[in-house]
Amino acid sequence: MLTPKDFNSDYQNQWCPGCGNFGILEAMKDALATQGIPPEKILIISGIGQAAKTPHFLNCNMFHSLHGRALPLALGAKLANHDLKIIVNSGDGDCYGEGGNHFIHAIRRNTDLTLLVHNNQVYGLTKGQASPTSGLGMTTALQPDGVISEPFNGPAVALSLGAGFVARGFSGNKEHLSSLIQKGMDHKGVSLIDIMQPCVSFNKINTFEWYKERVYETDNPEPDDLPQAMKLSMEWGDAIPIGIFYQTKKQDFTSRIKGLEKGPLIFRNYDPQEANSIFQGS
Amino acid sequence: MSTHTNIDMTIKIGGAAGQGIQTIGNLLARACRDAGFYIMAINDFESRVRGGHSFFQMRISDKPVYAPHHRIDLLIALNRETWDLHKDQLQDDGIAILEVPLDSPSKQVFEVEFSTLAKEIGSSLYSNTVAAAVGLSILGASFDKIADLLSWQFAGKKEDIIQKNIKAARLGYDAVKDIQFSRQPFLKTSNPKGQIMEGSRAIALGAIASDCRVAAFYPMSPATSIMQHLAGWTNRLPLVVEQAEDEIAAVNMVIGASFAGARAMTATSGGGFCLMTEGLGLSAITETPIVIVDAQRPGPATGLPTRTAQGDLLFAIHASQDDFPRFVFAPGSLLEAFELTQKAFALSEKYQVPAIILVDQYMVDAIFLLEHSFTFSKKVERFTVGDKDLKDPKNYNRYELTPSGVSPRALPCTGAARVIVSSDEHREDGHITEDIDNRNAMVNKRKSKLPDMIREMSVPQALYPEAKIVLLGWGSTSGSIKESVEGLRNEGMDVGCLLFTDLWPFPTAIVESHLKDPVKIIITVEQNSGAQFGHLLKEQTGISCTHAILKYDGRPFYPIEIMDAVKEKEKH
Repeated sequence: MLTPKDFNSDYQNQWCPGCGNFGILEAMKDALATQGIPPEKILIISGIGQAAKTPHFLNCNMFHSLHGRALPLALGAKLANHDLKIIVNSGDGDCYGEGGNHFIHAIRRNTDLTLLVHNNQVYGLTKGQASPTSGLGMTTALQPDGVISEPFNGPAVALSLGAGFVARGFSGNKEHLSSLIQKGMDHKGVSLIDIMQPCVSFNKINTFEWYKERVYETDNPEPDDLPQAMKLSMEWGDAIPIGIFYQTKKQDFTSRIKGLEKGPLIFRNYDPQEANSIFQGS
Repeated sequence: MSTHTNIDMTIKIGGAAGQGIQTIGNLLARACRDAGFYIMAINDFESRVRGGHSFFQMRISDKPVYAPHHRIDLLIALNRETWDLHKDQLQDDGIAILEVPLDSPSKQVFEVEFSTLAKEIGSSLYSNTVAAAVGLSILGASFDKIADLLSWQFAGKKEDIIQKNIKAARLGYDAVKDIQFSRQPFLKTSNPKGQIMEGSRAIALGAIASDCRVAAFYPMSPATSIMQHLAGWTNRLPLVVEQAEDEIAAVNMVIGASFAGARAMTATSGGGFCLMTEGLGLSAITETPIVIVDAQRPGPATGLPTRTAQGDLLFAIHASQDDFPRFVFAPGSLLEAFELTQKAFALSEKYQVPAIILVDQYMVDAIFLLEHSFTFSKKVERFTVGDKDLKDPKNYNRYELTPSGVSPRALPCTGAARVIVSSDEHREDGHITEDIDNRNAMVNKRKSKLPDMIREMSVPQALYPEAKIVLLGWGSTSGSIKESVEGLRNEGMDVGCLLFTDLWPFPTAIVESHLKDPVKIIITVEQNSGAQFGHLLKEQTGISCTHAILKYDGRPFYPIEIMDAVKEKEKH
């Protein structure tokens, strides 16, 4: 029996006290322990940002990569070994800003991985600039007159691209989030969980209290009802839904690749005879 | 025609993009190869799908040829532009076949209405078949041979299509049967001397000989053909080829695949390589092996998309921020392309560093005759470890400090060892730190691979290295440089050359031993405007080139251009 403690890392945590990331970290440990996936069997890939540091604070295999690039790197790993159980930890800047193009195409491909977007609506690691999800009018040192671009809605974009699993979670509700992560991991294909997460240092608007007053748990009663899912994803303001907005079965990317039917690439044998016959026949 | 061989002629077929010039080229190349000749051909085209001007230029010889020739013996012009652009290249006793008649008649020029003949069969689409038959008829090929070739070229198409092409060929063949041409190589055939191959195919074959399992790319001329070969083989080998959303994604997919245990590569051109430089650094600091092919074209930015250049040498050596070890190779022949691709994969994995293969549009798209078969080794040596190789897999350190700088590389999720990798500077266990001593230790660890890496570098190919004048070349210009050396020596000049394939880490000691004689005249020959190899030589050895012969118009070097330039430089 695994417990969340089995996923504790010896590495010292670097987040601010009270950071919303802690809730996500604890929910992940709980989800991994409940799922019974031992640390040596899980691969966490992340980009750059405070969210992307998450795997350092977990006992796991990990690749802490470049800003925005976790998803293509995860796809490459999956192509090499499609048995890998992959979680991607990303942030609103990492996933929706720097990695926006990769986000779009990871969903198009339906790569089998669980994508956790720690969405705190601000840049934390670089100390407080607006992010793609910052609300209109939010002022920062770099946006002194307030944000003038519309916020990016990750779940709605994912739905429009045909994602098979789209959910929104809240870092202040660990049990609910753990359950979302587990369902995301059970889902074959890309599962996006946009996680609202307060930044105690730089986001003075979207605080714990701000969220606590607004979030309510709800799942789409008909999980594959896309218009209803879209409606839930767009609901923002006085009431913000958390839960599974959409879920439907879709073939995932690597199982669509004929050449992978015989098993993960890294476990197959080199075939010099076939290579040579390609040369001879060319 | 050269006086040194019995047969050394060049045939050029030109027309608009979309007129099927490449199909004509395939047919002619195949016919000449089957008839026992050595060939080399260049495909020259503009960055457009229809219209414009493109040509196929093939040299046919009874001796091996590795460079294009500047004069044309037989010109087949499917449009007027071809004649206007290339008439000055026509040999004095060469002939031209034109679709469009000239205002003033010439003894050298004959008119064949390719498209009119093609329409007799039912469509002007058969013009290229008519033109191919015209060329082969003039060269003395039998019609039976042409019919066989067409059946081969159109194998898999409907019988009706094949028969129409054969009929079209007949019309072309007969239209020129009365033309008397002094060169009829097909009257003197022999056994085939090898296999027709493009540089792109040699690289792709090198990749599968290296057990490459994942290839990711974003389409970019002239690199795409390498990936196209690989994509055609994915149903026969444990190999997946994925078209990425951009070059940034492509290189990161390759890094991810390699991290998980598959040998992986990408191919791009300079502009795409620009986007990959971030990933290059990721490969370096995470010590994840990757192979990148940069098929160079003239830049900057979009430059000349379908043309050739050697302008990325210094970029490849320096790309991405800060210092880190890497390999850079530049093959100059089919065999070198095949073998250096394997060397890049093996050394990249052995030293856990990125490896870059510099080729160019000329090398990738040109057709050569492969005289010796490629050898596929029975086993590919891998440089990874598993639990059984580790003393304490549970406490595995991905970046363990070792005397060689190379740490045992385990693969994620394949055993008890947890693999921890970060693009931030990291400790031996892979976790982030900004500790001063650790930073120094890790930079030094990565750097300490260099002495062993340098020992892996091969000596340049030397031709008359003791000569007074030594030409320096790297990569795809080797064929033209070698031919120009022989040509100049035949004219009595004391000329030799050194041809480099293993460029980085720079093999300083080897190069110095070849160039130590201070009275030598050293001339660097390159397809860029800045004499990049010359600068590299100076930087790494202190040796200055006396002269530079530089071509940067996007077209490959003809040996005559190098010969003329050497004679010119020697005067001064």
